Amino acid sequence: MRRALRRAAACVLILVGLCALLATAIAPYDYSRQFRETPNAPASHRFPMGTDDLGRDRFSRLLYATRVSVVLAPAAALVSILIALFFSAAAGLRKQWANQALSGITTLSLSLPWMFLFIILRAVLPLNTRPLASILVTFGLMGVAGWGWPARIFTASISQVMHSGWLLQARAAGISPWRIACIQIWPHLRAIAIAQFRVLIPAYILSEASLGLLGLGVAEPLPSWGNLLAELQHPDRIHDNPWILAPLALLMLVMISLESLHPTTFLHTTREVAV
Amino acid sequence: MRWTAVFCGAGVLTLAALFSAGLSAAAAPHELRFCLNGDPKTFDALHVSDDNSELVRFLTGGVLLRINRVTDQLQPELAESWKLSEGGRAITFHLRSGLKFSDGSPLNAEDVARTLKTALDPKQASPAGDTFRSTGNTEVRVDSPLDVTIRYSQPKPGIDRLFDTLSIVPEKAGKLPASAGPFFVSEYRPGDYVQLTRNPHYWKHDAAGKPMPYLDSIRLDIQPNREIEVTRFLRGETHLVNKLTPEAFDRIVREKPAAARSLGASLDSEFLWFNQSPSPAVPEWKRKWFTSVAFRRAVSASIHRDDIARVVFRSHAHPAAGVISPANRFWFNASLKELPFDPQSALRGLAAEGFVLKDGTLRDRDGHAVEFSLITNSGNRAREATATVIQDDLRKIGIQVNIVTIDFSSLIERIAKTSQYEACLLGFVNVAIDPMEQMNIWLSSGEQHPWWPLQKKPATTWEAQIDQLELRQASEPSRTLRKKAVDELQRIVAEQEPIVYLVNPDYLTAISPSLRGVQPVTAPPQILWNIEYLTLE
Amino acid sequence: MTPLQSRLGKFLLIPQRLLNRERQQAVAHRESAIHSGLTSPFSNRLLSNLITLVLVVLAGGFLAAALVRYSPGFDSIPEDLNPAISAETLRALHQQHDRENVLPVFYARYLAGAIRGDFGFSQNLKQPVTELLRQRIPVTARLIFWGTVGGWLLGGALAWMAVWTRRTGLEAAAFSISGFFLAIPPAVLALAFFFYQAPLAPALSLALLPRIFGTLRVLLEDCYSSPALLAARSRGVGPFVIMARYVVFAITPQLIALFGAGLMLAFGLAIPIEALCGVPGLGALALEGAVSRDMPLLCGMALIVTLLVTLVHAVGDVSTGFAGEHA
Repeated sequence: MRRALRRAAACVLILVGLCALLATAIAPYDYSRQFRETPNAPASHRFPMGTDDLGRDRFSRLLYATRVSVVLAPAAALVSILIALFFSAAAGLRKQWANQALSGITTLSLSLPWMFLFIILRAVLPLNTRPLASILVTFGLMGVAGWGWPARIFTASISQVMHSGWLLQARAAGISPWRIACIQIWPHLRAIAIAQFRVLIPAYILSEASLGLLGLGVAEPLPSWGNLLAELQHPDRIHDNPWILAPLALLMLVMISLESLHPTTFLHTTREVAV
Repeated sequence: MRWTAVFCGAGVLTLAALFSAGLSAAAAPHELRFCLNGDPKTFDALHVSDDNSELVRFLTGGVLLRINRVTDQLQPELAESWKLSEGGRAITFHLRSGLKFSDGSPLNAEDVARTLKTALDPKQASPAGDTFRSTGNTEVRVDSPLDVTIRYSQPKPGIDRLFDTLSIVPEKAGKLPASAGPFFVSEYRPGDYVQLTRNPHYWKHDAAGKPMPYLDSIRLDIQPNREIEVTRFLRGETHLVNKLTPEAFDRIVREKPAAARSLGASLDSEFLWFNQSPSPAVPEWKRKWFTSVAFRRAVSASIHRDDIARVVFRSHAHPAAGVISPANRFWFNASLKELPFDPQSALRGLAAEGFVLKDGTLRDRDGHAVEFSLITNSGNRAREATATVIQDDLRKIGIQVNIVTIDFSSLIERIAKTSQYEACLLGFVNVAIDPMEQMNIWLSSGEQHPWWPLQKKPATTWEAQIDQLELRQASEPSRTLRKKAVDELQRIVAEQEPIVYLVNPDYLTAISPSLRGVQPVTAPPQILWNIEYLTLE
Repeated sequence: MTPLQSRLGKFLLIPQRLLNRERQQAVAHRESAIHSGLTSPFSNRLLSNLITLVLVVLAGGFLAAALVRYSPGFDSIPEDLNPAISAETLRALHQQHDRENVLPVFYARYLAGAIRGDFGFSQNLKQPVTELLRQRIPVTARLIFWGTVGGWLLGGALAWMAVWTRRTGLEAAAFSISGFFLAIPPAVLALAFFFYQAPLAPALSLALLPRIFGTLRVLLEDCYSSPALLAARSRGVGPFVIMARYVVFAITPQLIALFGAGLMLAFGLAIPIEALCGVPGLGALALEGAVSRDMPLLCGMALIVTLLVTLVHAVGDVSTGFAGEHA
């Protein structure tokens, strides 16, 4: 039963991933092409999911949006993990001050007003930044904003390893710290890092959705799940064209598939980017 | 299993309990309710500079005279009569007797004189006083407890009309100051609501001798989210929505057709302009395009205004003809035609300037691909959509537009302080029918001159001409001659297009049928200008 | 010593003496630290934690203030675009704006005020920040309180259902429910509640549910599969007795840490919910402050948020640390 579920989930994810990667080939139109004669059209042969208020094909936009979210959420997760690994290495120094400083910095990063950074982000970038570069930076910032929790976990597990008997033995044996880090600590940490990476992906998908709903995520005309979801703020439109719910349905499908593949969901890892 | 059932039951009960908590209370019978989109920044009538404070000031402030928004005639308020003298240099007001502020303290000529002196005092930096200030001396004299005279050293055209915006303030202003208008601010919870209560000492009575205003109170709920504002209106929790987006209007037409009102084109306009100032943020070759009238006209002619009006504004907007909206019947230059949509002539004009369209990319004489960034404020859906339409239209003549949506503070800083932008898409909410107030925008030396503020001397002959026309209309006492100057200004702007006007959005509003006595107009405060006459059924 | 270690030791030809010596040193160090009274590891840690806490809170406030001060848009005021305002008035307003906002001076003065409980004067809303917080905190606190209560009851019930009954059907149901709510963006959940005119606290509860369920289930599972508990269960001890006598006692430290983290999470979720549904709480206030570059307001909120986060971490560390030492 569980295996069948996992298989189904994997299939869904692969399918969605393929659609996203091949968006250019599958999508009937470009995401920004405006059919101004038919704004807000219902679903038809020409537009499988209808059009939005500027007459852009919803189906094509959803495909491109999926590409943005599916590719960039893991990238953001990677950024978080790398930063967390870098900082938590301080725990390996076995110095009280380093540990204190690290815990201070993580706490600081967890209480910084990150939302503010998303508000000013586009204003900080140069004016003629390409839309693609601009969303890369948005997701990058999301990754930077989220390093605090994984860092706390890595630090805890590193200091646990540092106090273990076998590491003591290795040190007593005069093995160089660098070698210890490579052959003793890293294999232990790697498993945790991979687990963290996998739970951060859905967290960032949700973060992007929340930011998009608040109008702080990916900017027009480029679509993302977040800014497509922003249309849910006009619930009366759903009545006219139920396909408006398609991005939400797809997002939920991907989230559920990710969970089924990797069912342990810990509180501290599903933290969304907030203030 | 039994225990599971117990736990599930507990969960359901919790949810039910949470649901039933926090249902809102019912409103008082004669209380008008509607939403403000933000907190009023001040209740001090002399320091009002934002729309929300201005609305509260209008509803609470007692003014000497009022412009009837329908007939455009002056009508007496706190002043029973007034007289212009010395060729428009002086004005004398005769107050009604027995006037009182809302706290019961008397209001006399001393209060009027003190209000004016405070407003005129440069140290106070009072926005309300700005329109009253003038070069040379201004003398304020109390002739008797009911008479007060204001004398300027130079003629000031339209001085009587200015008093429509000056609320008389009491000597001692607390946190919630007393006022002399139909209502007073009785309670304020920041971020939540402002409560206005009927002023029992308001002087006005109707023909039957019944004291006015008819409403007992007004509750202004602070609601930044416009979607929620509309939803609350549809639920019957509020009585009006002052300004609707086209989309919300369509929703109201569908769900509560009796409440939807469209007054046609408003005084507002949407437009874009290019940064012509020698800013380091604009490369020299781009500045060459932006200062070329052929380039600006080509961009203007390539933008499909009808599509913006039809698609973005859902047919609730009209293509703009220029500076002044046709809704402003007196000041609009009727000889101006709608700006044309003609990409072919745009390309011909560009070719004459040495631009070449090749492989879908427009290049200037030196081979630079034509590309510019268009900044606009985030959070305004219609404006973001307008930007994408423009992007799409200009792509067709080979111009690459990068849309940059930034938050409003950053936008203001860029256009008003640092000049770090290439082109800007913005709207202008026109609050005054008279173009007098737009001096700061049109004078080339003005702080708010959009395309190149604070010029030492006008960069081109047409800008020099605009300066002259502006100064003439501001000092000319004759309304006909002023109109002539303003007409000429509109013609020059339509010809040179330093600002590319796009559309005039319609004024759309929702008024509950239970609110009676409403005479909506396009100039603010659109629905509420005759607040004392409104009743609720 | 594990067999692997000794084998490794032999392989690398490390004299056993050396290993033992290092070990003895470590033990001796620890012993001496414990016996020297004041500098016992716990109070030592408490003191340095306290210093870190103060430093972190100060830095948090300063960073927020600096971020706002040097953000784009800080040098503009809303009056900049109002054509009715004369150049002189505008200049006067700008001068006042600049005067109030010299960063080091601002922060020093601000801290001096903050110690006395005065968090400055909001530049945007023209109100004392303390007053604003006093008005907004109850709104958000109510949302978070009921949201958290609901979230814990639902998440707890679900976790208990999944662990206690040991029926695959119920377990799968618990997982599906939790998974379903985890897959919905909390903001969408809140919007749905809002448009059906329902109160928002249950939306927050449902958003918290899977997050609490996930951790609680693991905790409970560890606990219920312990031999002592299994023995108690086989003797027929009732579920509530087991819960009261064994479970709650065993996982209290983790519960405290989880509770703190849950509160922070609820606060994080409350912000978009408030912003989207027009609730005049702290989240909406923070967002408004950010948009208008309200330095005193944001600085005050940053100080408070940093203090809360630090305290939650400290309580979590201490409670789980205690458990670790006593284990």
